[in-house]
Amino acid sequence: MESRVLKPILAVYVVAFLLFLYGPFFVLTILSFQQGPDGGPQFPITEWSLYWYKQIFGLTPPSRIAPLPVGEALIRSLVLAFMTMVTSTVLGVMSAQAFRRKFTGSSVVFYLIVLGMMVPGVLTGLGTSLLANNVLGIERHWYTTAFATHVAYTYPFAFLVMLAILNRFDGSVEEASWSLGVTPWTTFRKVTFPLIFPGVLSAMLFAFTLSLDEFPRSLFAAGGSGDQTLPLAIYGTFAVEIHPNIFAFGVLTTLFSFALLSVYGILMGLSVRRARKLAMQEDIA
Amino acid sequence: MTDATVARKRRLGPTWLILPGIVWMALFMIVPIAMIVYVSFWTQTTFNISPTPTLASWKQFFASDTYIGALWTTIRIWLIVLAATFAIGYPTALFVGLFVKSKTLSTVLLVICVIPFWTSFLIRVLAWRPMLGKEGVINIILLKLNVISHPIEVLLFTELSVIIGMTQIYCVFMVGPIAFMLGRIDRNIIEAARDLGAGFGRIFWKIIFPLSLPGVVVGAIFVSVMVLGEFATSGALSGRKVNLLGNIIVTQVGSLKWAMASVSGVILTVVMGMVIAAFLRIVDLKQEL
Repeated sequence: MESRVLKPILAVYVVAFLLFLYGPFFVLTILSFQQGPDGGPQFPITEWSLYWYKQIFGLTPPSRIAPLPVGEALIRSLVLAFMTMVTSTVLGVMSAQAFRRKFTGSSVVFYLIVLGMMVPGVLTGLGTSLLANNVLGIERHWYTTAFATHVAYTYPFAFLVMLAILNRFDGSVEEASWSLGVTPWTTFRKVTFPLIFPGVLSAMLFAFTLSLDEFPRSLFAAGGSGDQTLPLAIYGTFAVEIHPNIFAFGVLTTLFSFALLSVYGILMGLSVRRARKLAMQEDIA
Repeated sequence: MTDATVARKRRLGPTWLILPGIVWMALFMIVPIAMIVYVSFWTQTTFNISPTPTLASWKQFFASDTYIGALWTTIRIWLIVLAATFAIGYPTALFVGLFVKSKTLSTVLLVICVIPFWTSFLIRVLAWRPMLGKEGVINIILLKLNVISHPIEVLLFTELSVIIGMTQIYCVFMVGPIAFMLGRIDRNIIEAARDLGAGFGRIFWKIIFPLSLPGVVVGAIFVSVMVLGEFATSGALSGRKVNLLGNIIVTQVGSLKWAMASVSGVILTVVMGMVIAAFLRIVDLKQEL
């Protein structure tokens, strides 16, 4: 049978595919341990060292290579990602909640929201900066215009995640709560929200990571140099000569992402375990 | 409490729940895109821009080799990257979605494909420089293997490097949807075809490929939208030699030529709209999902 021949061939192909996917990052990681400050961003490694990692944290004596201007940009990016996360998750939960019953124009609204994840950042970024700069005459900042475009991008993701969760949600527990005279808001807080919490966590994770790495929207909508977010600061180093410090920084941000993912995993595990415990208590009762 | 008050209470007005979202998207997506169309007809002078309507920027766009060239480069690179992501991604999706029997293993493989996305986008782009350069890894390996005697110089800062970079960054968006559709194929259909004596080629073209087509279309839409809106990869890996419409927009905004940036933006929007409409012609997604 062909599949007996085809399967091993495809398996080898997939390994090659993964090499293609991971190759650049492996190389980048190796080169981040290049000797400094004279070692260049290429092979051979003249001497293994942690110089470029130390440089990022300002632990090396000043040299001709300026340290990456990432300190304040990192804080701005984290605050922006946090603001975006909270806003788009709240909007996402509200909209998905509204979509649990049919309303007139719901399919138009659905496409309006989902369009936000499809429209390229160049366009929303350009449009928002035109609006702020040429029509309203207001200054662009990372916490105003850039924030608005970030939410318009991440909110659709939060919305879709919550929609998927609420589609599988059993409404009878809410009805039980309402018929006992509990107000809708308390029902939402005490019954609905704990049940959809895993979805809320996923929506938050999506919004935070997408905003943290968002580049084109910030480029147009974030204004001047006092407004640089992390991706903008990294982009700024592209124009001039690159050094292994940017590679070391790439490794560190990836590790940070993994830490974030682990926190998400732990929270998710805890909430699943709690739900199981509650279900077991009910069974016993 | 009567049933009517319960019903009224639990409704909590879908209108009020959905309104903030609609307002946000209207203000920060629809109005900005409308602004691009509007400003593309404004009058641009060297230092200023005024809302007097004119077609000057549009005429300038279509009269200039640079801008028309950027439009064609965008379309060419989009088509090449789309074909490359499909060609490279489909066999992977075939293995993950169809050939791997265990659900766990196929999930693990998909997760492995997604992990690189945890590195910042710009760093992933930049990582291609030490791979492709004259003293880069690919040249070092090929020289060591005696495949070549001189380093290949066309690998970096050319259109080729942009294509390689974009293919690597975007091919996962092709793999995911296709693998998903392949995973949903009823294995009994394939077994039945095999029992009736069909070879793998026939089974593939008559059953597997048509059933995976919705996944291909979704993947193609993802890749198209992202590649057409690109400017960072082309900027970083071509040494500013490859200019896409996105690069034109960035440069024009940088020199405060808002009207010209808007014209490029409108053209990009139109191209994107046509591409998506064409893909949705192939497969009616609403029916498939």
